[in-house]
Amino acid sequence: MVLVRTKVLPGDLLHDSYQGQPPPHTYKLGNKLFSLKVGLVEIEGKEVKLIPLAGPYIPRVNDFVIGKIIDFDAFSWDVDINSIYTAHLPAQDVFGRDFSPQTHSLTSQFKVGDILAAKIVSYDRTKDPVLTVRDHGLGKIINGEPVKLSPSKIPRLIGKKGSMAKIIESKTKTKLIIGQNGIIIVQGPSEGIVLAAKAIRLIEEKAHVPSLTNMINDLLTKESG
Amino acid sequence: MGKLIDENGIRLDGRRWDEIRPITIEIGVIKNADGSAYIEFGKNKIIAAVYGPREAHPKHLALPDKAIVRCRYHMAPFSTEERKSPQPSRREIEISLVLRRAMESAIFLEEYPRSIIDVFVEVLQSDGGSRCASITAVSAALADSGISMRDLVVGCAVGKIDGQIVLDLSDYEDKEGEGDMPVAYMPNLDKIVLLQFDGIFSEEEFKKAIDLAILGNKKVYEILKKALIEKYFSMVDEK
Amino acid sequence: MSIKKSPIIENLRKTQMIELLSKEKRLDGRSLIDFRPIIIKVGVIQKSNGSAEVSIGNTKVVAGVKVETGSPFPDTPDQGLLVVNAEFLPFSSALIEPGPPDEDAIEVSRVVDRGIRESQMIDLNALVIETGKLVYCVFVDISILNMDGNIFDAAFLSAVSALLTTTFERKTVKGDGNIEVQKCKLPTRCIPISISSITIGDSILIDPTEEEESVQDSRLTLTFNDEGYLCAGQKGGSMGISREQLFKIVELSKAKAEELRVLVKKVIENAQI
Repeated sequence: MVLVRTKVLPGDLLHDSYQGQPPPHTYKLGNKLFSLKVGLVEIEGKEVKLIPLAGPYIPRVNDFVIGKIIDFDAFSWDVDINSIYTAHLPAQDVFGRDFSPQTHSLTSQFKVGDILAAKIVSYDRTKDPVLTVRDHGLGKIINGEPVKLSPSKIPRLIGKKGSMAKIIESKTKTKLIIGQNGIIIVQGPSEGIVLAAKAIRLIEEKAHVPSLTNMINDLLTKESG
Repeated sequence: MGKLIDENGIRLDGRRWDEIRPITIEIGVIKNADGSAYIEFGKNKIIAAVYGPREAHPKHLALPDKAIVRCRYHMAPFSTEERKSPQPSRREIEISLVLRRAMESAIFLEEYPRSIIDVFVEVLQSDGGSRCASITAVSAALADSGISMRDLVVGCAVGKIDGQIVLDLSDYEDKEGEGDMPVAYMPNLDKIVLLQFDGIFSEEEFKKAIDLAILGNKKVYEILKKALIEKYFSMVDEK
Repeated sequence: MSIKKSPIIENLRKTQMIELLSKEKRLDGRSLIDFRPIIIKVGVIQKSNGSAEVSIGNTKVVAGVKVETGSPFPDTPDQGLLVVNAEFLPFSSALIEPGPPDEDAIEVSRVVDRGIRESQMIDLNALVIETGKLVYCVFVDISILNMDGNIFDAAFLSAVSALLTTTFERKTVKGDGNIEVQKCKLPTRCIPISISSITIGDSILIDPTEEEESVQDSRLTLTFNDEGYLCAGQKGGSMGISREQLFKIVELSKAKAEELRVLVKKVIENAQI
């Protein structure tokens, strides 16, 4: 079977006799399968895959995300993870089992405006996402600059086996911490940060151009002299 | 012959009975919004922008199983011949309601439980058919935001002038004619999602009007599709 | 519309902003006294008597002028009316909540109103049809479309550009009682320009972004007339400002106002009203 890749808009018919559950970003009416998004659809035999070009970040368990502390109470922090729902980081996750609001001060660990890397431990349609920072590479981020990218374009920034991210890192002498939720922290010298941010903006605009890798290479080679 | 259509069947602005006014649509005009669009439909100049889905404030508004939609249709004080007071009028409040209902039938609300979707429409310059132009802009803004939608929604009015059913009334035709019928439509699902009318229509005229409205809506749909493809795929090579 | 809260700026960015300021640089690469790119489009709303859309970076506003007739105020029977009204449209920011105009929108309206009025830009005495009975009312409505800092200058530029390109039908009662209608421009005398800046520590930043405003100590909006005289001013922000800083801001703003006036003149000349 040949791979067919087409652009679709909401309401476009994808398949007129689709068996089984509708894949993500599609819905079924009878046996007809329709698109819910602006995106690219790949149809290979009876496999239908829709890659949306815009849309909010929907949390998934085990996703690596970058969040910003926006509030706290005696037992947990509220974390903006660039999604529909505010995530929560329980104080117990940071202070351990013997956490007590009388003895521990939440602001000693995270203040409003702080950035952190975290993992989603639980989320479903009825409850807000809960985060953990108890793993390698998680916790407060103390340097670098946050840059936004549409969550649906994060896979393009990473590239095949991380190739795109590696090109940007090596050409700009920076390190990228990429959250699945569309927040990227760029660390390194300030000229490098500016250049990497430029490359990320280019991905935002041209995410679905097949020659994107070449365009990024050209941009970085030209600008880094 | 009447005063709005001449003996050659030409309307005051040079159109035939089945022609729509020029339309241009631009996607992504409001940087801060999650999705936005600007439409010029005849002399109408309208911005629609979407925020969300986001957490519902106040919380008691939220529904456990789906998103709620809030809509505000508003006209700028300089949008009309006589300056309009900035306070929302009863007409604006009603249009907000019918726009919201029309969008609720298209948005896949179940995908975003406990959240709210805010839709804002600002009419910078008004002309006949502003609610139809608005719904097209709103649907463009929603598609731009990536909110799941069963279908795009487009709007186009029909009406009766000089005893004839014609497509897409101008401001003057609306005021001087015998009837106006705004219709919004989901072209792939073939469903009407907004229908209002005033004026006298026979059953036959009514049916003719609906068919003509659907024809007009399909024309608007082609323009909306082009605008979205322009914005999202202008650089994609299709293989 | 009312502004619910100020944005929570990431502590990382705040630190970087402060560090850059010590090197006289800003996050977006500008120098401290540079404006972002300014785009002025006039005549965008054909149904208004005059209109202008202004962008300063991502901040975008549109102003429309309506000239109508009405009664003068009893204490100024020989003057036309000027009414300035600003509204933050609910889609202009994620932080805005629908509702009646709150103090922020009212402050913008009043600061723009004072700048136009005090510079005597419009000859209100020339807008009388019949003393004490009938005058022209000039309504300037400003809609804020997208907020990214420095709303004051964007609103002011749009109001001034719209007024400078306003035309209306002037009715004069002639000796024989007949009414003569003539299309004419608004009687204007000068091009007032407002310049806003903020202070963060010892630094003075002209044309602040929203991010910069969220960490400001104080804000100052100054309006200058053609001769470079100050004609209105408003301090904002909740911290004090020193005498030296104040004088420095006046000096910088005066020079900036001259630059912006040249830009406005160019736009108006090209518009050929």
